[in-house]
Amino acid sequence: MAQRTVRFEDLAVGDAVLSVSRVVTREDVKRYADASGDQNPLHQEEDFARAVGFPGIIAHGMFTMGHLATSLTDWLGNPSRLKRLTVQFRAPVFMGETIVAEGRVKALDRETRTAVLDVWVRVERDGTTEYPIRKSEAVVGFPDPQG
Amino acid sequence: MNAALEGKVYPDTTFTVDEERVHLFRAAVGEGEQIVPPTFATAAEFAVFPLIVGDAELDLDFTRVIHAEQEYEWRRPFRVGEALTVRSRIASIRQKAGNGFLTIETELLGRDGELVVLARATMIERAA
Repeated sequence: MAQRTVRFEDLAVGDAVLSVSRVVTREDVKRYADASGDQNPLHQEEDFARAVGFPGIIAHGMFTMGHLATSLTDWLGNPSRLKRLTVQFRAPVFMGETIVAEGRVKALDRETRTAVLDVWVRVERDGTTEYPIRKSEAVVGFPDPQG
Repeated sequence: MNAALEGKVYPDTTFTVDEERVHLFRAAVGEGEQIVPPTFATAAEFAVFPLIVGDAELDLDFTRVIHAEQEYEWRRPFRVGEALTVRSRIASIRQKAGNGFLTIETELLGRDGELVVLARATMIERAA
């Protein structure tokens, strides 16, 4: 664990720090609806989704944010290092698509041992890159000087 | 949407970090064993959200609502089995180009009243 866990000293502004893919399935989205309590039919009923203007059901924005947060905690090795996550949802995610969580170091504060990351989630669709989560930010802290 | 509801505070609710639900949530977001996913906070927010979006006074058309922004500030990880107090209020209601913007701020408080997570959700009610 200690070997694969990132240390504050390893980070430099501009570094790419994440690239984690996940295929979005109907089963996982249904599981997310049950686990989160967000039973909006937009994420489960095709007819409803079409009636409100989408070609089919879409994943919860929070499903996609959940993937981003998991990617961050895996990278950090310890969930308590994730201090803040602020996201903007800017495109839908359809079933069967692959979402990719990515990030880059934006700023480092050596005194507080805190890093600010630019983070986003992209999806390749019809030859173009869409950003279901874009222009978003994570704040991560490394209070222990050993890490 | 009724802008007069800005500032409205909803009654406190108790939300337990239930082990089975954490397990299901972990599977849904692909999180590893032993960890309570940080965004499990969403499940706590949804202990109150139906009450807010269904508030007749607010007059929100949920079929036109999309989630626009979300922010979490974590003070410490969740503990499996702990009971949290969920306290939500309407932080702001704005109209822009026919769209309505609703921001709900939720505090998740631990047993001693300490802040565990601060959550801010912004929804857009799209123009009809």
